[in-house]
Amino acid sequence: MLKTAQPERPDTLTWVFLGLGLLLLPVGLYLALAAPPDVNQGYLARIMYLHVPGAWLGYLAFFVTFLYSLLYLFRQNPRYDRVALASAEIGLVFMGLALVTGMLWARPTWGVYWTWEPRLTTTAILFAVYVGYFLLRGAIEDPELRAKAAAAVGILGFINVPISYMSVKWWRSLHQTQSIDLTTGKIHMDPAMLQALLFNLLVFTLLYLGFVRFRALLAVLEARREEA
Amino acid sequence: MRAPRVGKAVQAPGRDGEGMGAVRRIWLLAWRDLRLEVRDRAGLLSVLAFFSVMLFIMALALGPEEEPLRRAAPGVLWVALAFGSTLLSTRAFALEVEDGTLDDLLLTPGGKEWIYFGKLLFQMFLLLPLSLLALLMAAGLFYLPLDRLLPLFLTLLLGVLGYTSVATFYAGLLARLRGREVLLPLLLFSLVVPVVLAAVRATLGLVEGLPLEEVQNWWQLLLVFDVVYLTASALLFPVVLEG
Repeated sequence: MLKTAQPERPDTLTWVFLGLGLLLLPVGLYLALAAPPDVNQGYLARIMYLHVPGAWLGYLAFFVTFLYSLLYLFRQNPRYDRVALASAEIGLVFMGLALVTGMLWARPTWGVYWTWEPRLTTTAILFAVYVGYFLLRGAIEDPELRAKAAAAVGILGFINVPISYMSVKWWRSLHQTQSIDLTTGKIHMDPAMLQALLFNLLVFTLLYLGFVRFRALLAVLEARREEA
Repeated sequence: MRAPRVGKAVQAPGRDGEGMGAVRRIWLLAWRDLRLEVRDRAGLLSVLAFFSVMLFIMALALGPEEEPLRRAAPGVLWVALAFGSTLLSTRAFALEVEDGTLDDLLLTPGGKEWIYFGKLLFQMFLLLPLSLLALLMAAGLFYLPLDRLLPLFLTLLLGVLGYTSVATFYAGLLARLRGREVLLPLLLFSLVVPVVLAAVRATLGLVEGLPLEEVQNWWQLLLVFDVVYLTASALLFPVVLEG
C-alpha cells in the first residue's frame, strides 16, 4: 500500500481518505438523525447507522488481514505483514465500536447489555482472537518469526468471520438477521434508511482506508527504529 | 536416550521409487514419538497430576450439592483439558530440536505435510486416553452420568482433534524459540476458544439428556472447525517451517 521508497510522512492519498472521511462524518451523522424512525423501535433504530458499518468494516479489516497474511507467508515481504498488522488493529477498533453500540442497543430492546446468544458469542470470540493476535506480536522479539506466527493467527482466526456473519441464520438467535443480506443480495429496508446506512458505510470505509495507510506508515517507522 | 533415526527407516522398506508412502511415514513418526514419551513418563505424569488437582479443587469449590456440580462439570472438564494439554503440546517438537533431528526430518524428500500429520497423530494418541481418564475423573467427582459414553467419546474426539490440530501447528512454528512454553498457550487459547465452546455445549447437552439431534448442531460446528483448522494448518505448516 505504501509505494514511496522513504516514507516519512503520509502521502496525498492517505490525507485524501482521512480528510474526506472526517469531513463526511458529520454529514453521515446528520443523515442518520434525519432518517425516518423504525416502525417497531422508533428512534432507537438509529444506532444502526453506527453499529452496522462498524461491524462490516471490522469484518472487512479482518479479511484484509487474512489476505495480507497469506501474501506474507508466500512472498515473505515485510510490507505485507505491516498492512496485515495495520488492518487488524483498525479492525479491532471498528469491531469494538460494533460491540459497544450493540450493547447500548441491546439494553433498551432486549433488557440486558449482554447475553450469550450465538451472534454475540461469535463476535466476542472474534474480538478475542485478534486481541490474541496483538498479544502474540508483543511477545515475540524476532521480527521474522513474529510476522510468521502473526500471519498464521491472521489466517486461522479469519474462519470466525464467516461463522460470526452467518450465526444469525444458522442458529435461531435473538439478534435480528441481516437487513442487507450479502449472501442472497436481498434488502429488507426502507430506501431512505438504506441511503443513510450506505452513506455511513462509505464514510467508515474512507476512514478505514485512511487509518490503515496511516498505521502501516507508523509500522514502517517502528520497524526502522527496531533495526537501528 | 536418542531418537531412532528416521532417515535410516526411510530407505529400508522402499516399495516404490520414492521410499515409503506418506501413511507409513506418518505412522512411524507418531509411533516413535509415542514410545519416547511413554518411556520418559514425565510429561504424562505431569498432565495427569494437573488434571486431578484441578478437578479436585474445582469440585471442592463448587460442591457439595449434586446439581450445580453436574452443571459445571463440562466447563471444568474442558478447561482442564485445554490447560493440561498445553503442557504436552510443546513436547511434540522439543526432543527433535534438542537432538537436532528436526533438520533430518525436513531433509527427507517430498512434501513436508507428513511431519505435521505424524506429530498430530502422536498428540492424539497421547491426549485421547488422557482425556478419557479426565472424563472418568470428572464423572466420579462431579456426578457426571456416563450412560451416553459413546456420544461423549465422540465429543472428546472432535474437541481434542480441533485442539491438537492448532496446537501441533504452533508447536512446530515455535519449536526453535526459547520462550515457547509460555507463548504457546497464549497463542492457542484465542484460536481454540470456538472449539472449546462448542465442545462444552455438546458435553452439557449430553449430560443434561438433550435429544441427540440438538447436540448434533454442536458436533457439526466442531467438525467444521476441525476440518478447517486441519486443512489450513497442514497447508501452512511446510511454508512456515521452512522459510
